[in-house]
Amino acid sequence: MTTEQFLLSAWNWNPWVIAVCVATFLTYGVRYQARFSRKICWLLAGLVVFFLTLASPMDALADGYLFTAHMLQHLLLLLVVPPLILLSLPPATMPGRFQKERWKWLTWMVRHPAVTWCLGVGGMWLWHAPTLCNAAVTNGWIHRLQYVSLLLMGFAFWWPILGPWSRQRLSPLAGIVYLFSACLGCTILGIILTFAPVEVCSIYLHPIDRLGILPLVQNQWGLTPAKDQQLGGLLMWVPACLIYFCGIIGLLARWYGQANDEAPVYESQPNATLIGETHVH
Amino acid sequence: MSAFASPSVEIETPEAGSAPRGLFAWVATVDHKRIGILYLLTALVFFIVGGVEALLMRIQLARPNNTFLSPGAFNQIFTMHGTTMIFLVVMPTLFGLANYLVPLMIGARDMAFPRLNAMSYWLLPFGGLLLHFSLLAGGAPAVGWFSYAPLSETQYASTHGVDYWVLALLILGVGSVATSINLIATILTLRAPGLTIRRLPLFVWMIFVNSFLVILAIPALNAAIVMLFIDRNLSTYFFSPTHGGSALLWQHFFWAFGHPEVYIMALPAFGIISEVVPVFARRPIFGYEFVAASTVAIALLSFGVWAHHMFAVGMGHPIDLFFAASSMLIAVPTGVKVFAWSATMWGGSIRLTTAMLFAVAFLIQFTIGGLSGVTFAVVPIDWQVTDTYYLVAHFHYVLFGGTFFAVFAGLYYWFPKMTGRMLSERLGKLNFWMALIGFNTAFFVQHFLGLMGMTRRIYTYPDLPGWGLLNLISTIGAFLLGAAVLVLLWNIVVSLRHGQPAGDNPWQAWTLEWAATSPPPAQNFDRVPPIRSRRPLWDLAHPERPDPEVGGPTSRDEFALEKNRVSMVTFLISEGAFFVMLILAYLYYNNHTMDGPTPASTLNAKKTGVFTLCLLASSLTIWLAERKLEARKPAAFRWLLALTILLGAVFILGQGQEYLHVFHAGVMVNSNLFATTFFTLTGFHGLHVCVGLVALLIVMGLSLAGDFKQGRIEAAKSIGLYWHFVDAVWLVVFSVIYLRLLL
Repeated sequence: MTTEQFLLSAWNWNPWVIAVCVATFLTYGVRYQARFSRKICWLLAGLVVFFLTLASPMDALADGYLFTAHMLQHLLLLLVVPPLILLSLPPATMPGRFQKERWKWLTWMVRHPAVTWCLGVGGMWLWHAPTLCNAAVTNGWIHRLQYVSLLLMGFAFWWPILGPWSRQRLSPLAGIVYLFSACLGCTILGIILTFAPVEVCSIYLHPIDRLGILPLVQNQWGLTPAKDQQLGGLLMWVPACLIYFCGIIGLLARWYGQANDEAPVYESQPNATLIGETHVH
Repeated sequence: MSAFASPSVEIETPEAGSAPRGLFAWVATVDHKRIGILYLLTALVFFIVGGVEALLMRIQLARPNNTFLSPGAFNQIFTMHGTTMIFLVVMPTLFGLANYLVPLMIGARDMAFPRLNAMSYWLLPFGGLLLHFSLLAGGAPAVGWFSYAPLSETQYASTHGVDYWVLALLILGVGSVATSINLIATILTLRAPGLTIRRLPLFVWMIFVNSFLVILAIPALNAAIVMLFIDRNLSTYFFSPTHGGSALLWQHFFWAFGHPEVYIMALPAFGIISEVVPVFARRPIFGYEFVAASTVAIALLSFGVWAHHMFAVGMGHPIDLFFAASSMLIAVPTGVKVFAWSATMWGGSIRLTTAMLFAVAFLIQFTIGGLSGVTFAVVPIDWQVTDTYYLVAHFHYVLFGGTFFAVFAGLYYWFPKMTGRMLSERLGKLNFWMALIGFNTAFFVQHFLGLMGMTRRIYTYPDLPGWGLLNLISTIGAFLLGAAVLVLLWNIVVSLRHGQPAGDNPWQAWTLEWAATSPPPAQNFDRVPPIRSRRPLWDLAHPERPDPEVGGPTSRDEFALEKNRVSMVTFLISEGAFFVMLILAYLYYNNHTMDGPTPASTLNAKKTGVFTLCLLASSLTIWLAERKLEARKPAAFRWLLALTILLGAVFILGQGQEYLHVFHAGVMVNSNLFATTFFTLTGFHGLHVCVGLVALLIVMGLSLAGDFKQGRIEAAKSIGLYWHFVDAVWLVVFSVIYLRLLL
């Protein structure tokens, strides 16, 4: 099989993926009566990436052949699709029903970004525990669970930065710390994957050649298992950090770009003390 | 003290203190201005030392087959030159300027922690002397400023030079981190009313960003040199390939520090230029937002590019590829800055004072250095020219042509503020032209020498065509540069006595430091002018056409923060970075089987698990204790605190028992790499637990003495934060070392 044949034939027209895309698009259209605006471009971009992640040959490669492809899927679902879709939502105030006592945990989560941070970075680490990583490739249900959980954790992670309730967002400086520390978290994982002589996902070391493309991958593309893991680690290290980095630049742009009158007043943290209230000798 | 016609703002009054006089006043001072000047003077002394070392090397290299210096002496001198210039000259100079200027520029009375500030400074001469003491103790280190292992191991560097190098760098590192924590706390908590972060002078902003670089990068160096020290003094093998260690890991650790370090030395220089250029071009900076944001971009990217120092090591194509790309990327935000400075000058009415001349020369020379830097990101070119004089030329264009020229610009610009007298412009111009010609003569030809194949760190070279002449030109340039520094010194001495009185604001500048008298009084300001934009003094002088207000009248860009909490959090970030390095080393060395003791054969995971629960419980008790303190229940607080101390002590005793058990099994720190990394990681954690216990005991003592009654509990809460950190680190350490044994 040549590269061209593979790229043309290995599409996975999963009805669920298509259904989710169409449903999201229709819901968005009905909910916001969106004309063709910049916001809807974000949504389309997000859905296209989502579709490509799960339906393109990338998915076939991730299915037991290439750790790199698996990592790419992972990063797209966690770090690219959720922010794109969040960006498509028009700004809103938090609906009154969420301010009720029953939903207090939700506001608490947004106010304490440690929770969402742990979900975002933890998601990355958790699915690279060797047992889970292998199980996700061999067991279809765990595989689906992995996709869904990555998406959900991605949404949770980006919510305090890009969520539509602008008053509940993190302040820009705190947001920078939030994203930078997440970048460090995935850098460390990336470093371990790149340099450490461990087999994180041993399943990728001995692929079962269901599609007959193993010679193509290993000989023609030159992606031997050792190189494959290194590339996967580097993907998590450098490009993943660049995504957080783009988030930081976006935050700075938003911060400096705020017109004078619409500068939001951030709600003060419960723990912070006003300057002047405390003097320690 | 200047008086302001328009409504001015009260700032906080400091606590009164008695003032010693004379020389002792300088030794005992906690005033940020005096400490800043002490930093600058100390750096000047070491600048002369490092400069003389450079000239000695240039004499040796002036002609082929020269015998002026022996090979051994040459090795010692280039090592000392590099170490001195980076750690004892550039960093202290920039910290000194930051110390002097940041409180003035943000309208504060002093740094957030004046005594900590004094400690940071005094660690500098101590570290410097310790480094130079090696000369008396068998010879200076002779392994290059990056001490590549295994050359720096005992087998190849048998004198104590490297040990003194390690100790000096540790001490200097502690000082740098302490200063940076202090600067962050100062900038976050002591700004004058109205000075929101979006209105900060760019110098302050860049120092702020830079301080985060310091607290994150220095721990990587500290971790690496601690391991080197353990290697050298406890006969272990972290970096000795003969016993399974990895020399490559040293390079990764060193450059994980080393590349951010480049920006640690460059960002404050960018800050100086961002102040000097607008003032002398009579225009506000072009694209403030872009300059500020690109600073953050540079700082972040600088952590992801270090491996470009190691292309020649052979890391494999995938790694080279990614790092080449990320290294080229970092040129973008730097380019944004260069464009912003050039655009500021475009159409301005430029006053070519000495300060401005140095700033313009900075712009050109830094760009040259930056462009040759981009060539190193291209892997094949890097393979060709790495470790040649092309590299030497590159980093001297960045560090001397860049940073030092910016420092000279800053010196001419702020000297009137520091002393009340102007530096002589006539001598200044002489100083500038000599430095410009000397610098470019000395270093531009080195590009050619490098391309012709002359490697760095060779004590002499054969008489190849062109080499002797180019080297001679370089030496002549270096001496001209040395003479330029003498002119600067002479200018300082003369101007201190006979300089023209400066007045408060000789350059008609716009930032707050020029609202104080020159030199500023001990308390800096009684009142500061109202701050509505980025140029408060412009608004004051031109009420008819003030700058547009930045951020709105009621804008609050950030939460009100408490300085103890800020400093503890930044300190813990720094500590966290240190532990990350130790943990990575443990993971790196323990992922393959090796001879000798293994975790399974030596450690008792179940028992340690129980002690771990004790430590975790102590986090809960101290949290409860804080709650009691907030509720003004000191007795309950003390009981819970005592319980915390008890639980902590139980943990540390448990650790001691584990150590004894391991010792009895015949396992020593140098048994194998598992033992080495195990003892290093748990040992440093145990040390932190002990420090935490001492701190908790102090809090207990303060509480017994009747402190914390008025609700001023931030000190206690900060210690609580430290304790949580120690517990969190143990949780990670436990998962890494023991959890595998339990599962």
